[in-house]
Amino acid sequence: MILAAEQENPLALHTDELVFGFIALFVLLFVMYRMWPKITSVLDERANQIEGGIERARKAEAEAEEIRQQYREKIEEAHRQYAQELEKAKEQRAAIIAEAREEAQAEARRVIEAAHAQIEADRQHALAQLRGEIGTLSTDLAERIVGETLSDSAAQNRVIDRFLDELEQSESQAEVR
Amino acid sequence: MSDEAFHAAAGEDCHLFGDNNCGFEEVAPTVSVFFPEPFMEFGLPLTAGITKYTLMLVISVLLVMGFWYLATRRAAVVPGRLQSVAEMLVTFIRDQVTRQQMGQAGDKYLPMMVTLFLFIFVMNAMGIIPGLQLPVTSHIAYPAALAIYVYVMWNAIGIKKHGVAGHFVGRVVPGGTPKWILPLLVPIEIAQNFIAKPVTHALRPFAAMLSGHLLLAVFAAGGFYMFNLGADGFLSVVSVGYSGLALVAFVVFTGFELFIMALQAYVFIMLASSYLGEALEGQH
Repeated sequence: MILAAEQENPLALHTDELVFGFIALFVLLFVMYRMWPKITSVLDERANQIEGGIERARKAEAEAEEIRQQYREKIEEAHRQYAQELEKAKEQRAAIIAEAREEAQAEARRVIEAAHAQIEADRQHALAQLRGEIGTLSTDLAERIVGETLSDSAAQNRVIDRFLDELEQSESQAEVR
Repeated sequence: MSDEAFHAAAGEDCHLFGDNNCGFEEVAPTVSVFFPEPFMEFGLPLTAGITKYTLMLVISVLLVMGFWYLATRRAAVVPGRLQSVAEMLVTFIRDQVTRQQMGQAGDKYLPMMVTLFLFIFVMNAMGIIPGLQLPVTSHIAYPAALAIYVYVMWNAIGIKKHGVAGHFVGRVVPGGTPKWILPLLVPIEIAQNFIAKPVTHALRPFAAMLSGHLLLAVFAAGGFYMFNLGADGFLSVVSVGYSGLALVAFVVFTGFELFIMALQAYVFIMLASSYLGEALEGQH
């Protein structure tokens, strides 16, 4: 025990252990380096996937934003068109109303004119008829007067002549009118 | 030597309040716990032979390989449980260690750092695995092998990147120092960069594991030593109380050790990355 204790120096560096240590280290390093790519490839792939996912999300977001912008523009365009259409419709309505009014007035004028013409025609007709009747009546009257006083004197003859002249005159005057 | 074997060797009768007035110094663990009986000796000077350390070294290598194989066997974009753990480790070391110390160029050395971290951590953790309970790194040769590897890489990277002169000048002449102070500064820089750094790099995990394991061994041995139901009357109750305290301390310190084991592995790769970063950078 005492003899052994003299050799038992804890700081003693045993050469065989050093060699074993090197062998163990190099075997381990060799094997670990051989197995290493597996874990790094997995780590890299995961990093890629995460980066890809983030990139995809960003792209999708940008796309969504673009589409939203397009929709907004479309809605604004639609609003603008609607306003234009409304304006146009108002103008058209006004034009139609104006046109209708004009037409109605023209129609009214035409109706009035027709009525005037009819009245005039009726008047002319009535005048002509009246004139004929007056002639007949006058003739009747004259006949009666003449028949009862024809046996009178020559003066009476003159009266009759004058009456007939006047009658002729008035008749020609009526024709002129 | 495991604790059970140790106690068997020390004798069954040595307990607190025992009849033979046996003191703790007779059963307290010594550095012998770090020198298990070799399975096979080479009979050469400065050799330890095939020992429990050799066995645990092989187990450590197989554990790391097995873990990594299982974790990356079916590596998929949607990770499984083990793969998640492996990825967390890789991304943690990448973001907190290599990129901090070396920038993007450090990604090239990421597998090396992950391997070193896992290897050192598993070798350390051998100290709390029941049945083994001896950290592999408590023998200076194993951390020394790793530190020498990092030292060689450090020089190789520096020379490859900046040429022989560029590398060595960059290491021993700090940028922006006045000329007259160089005769004083250069020897210090040589001692620091080419001797102190690699030596402390190896010593750090070794010392932490040696002392940590010794501490655990003391608590275990103390608990066993103080446990004496055969003591007179009340003293047996006291002995059980003491022993219970030692057990609690053992459990607490085991948890603490696990933390130290991970921390030392982390510190080792942090320093390794820092050294390689210096070499990549050139003159600082």
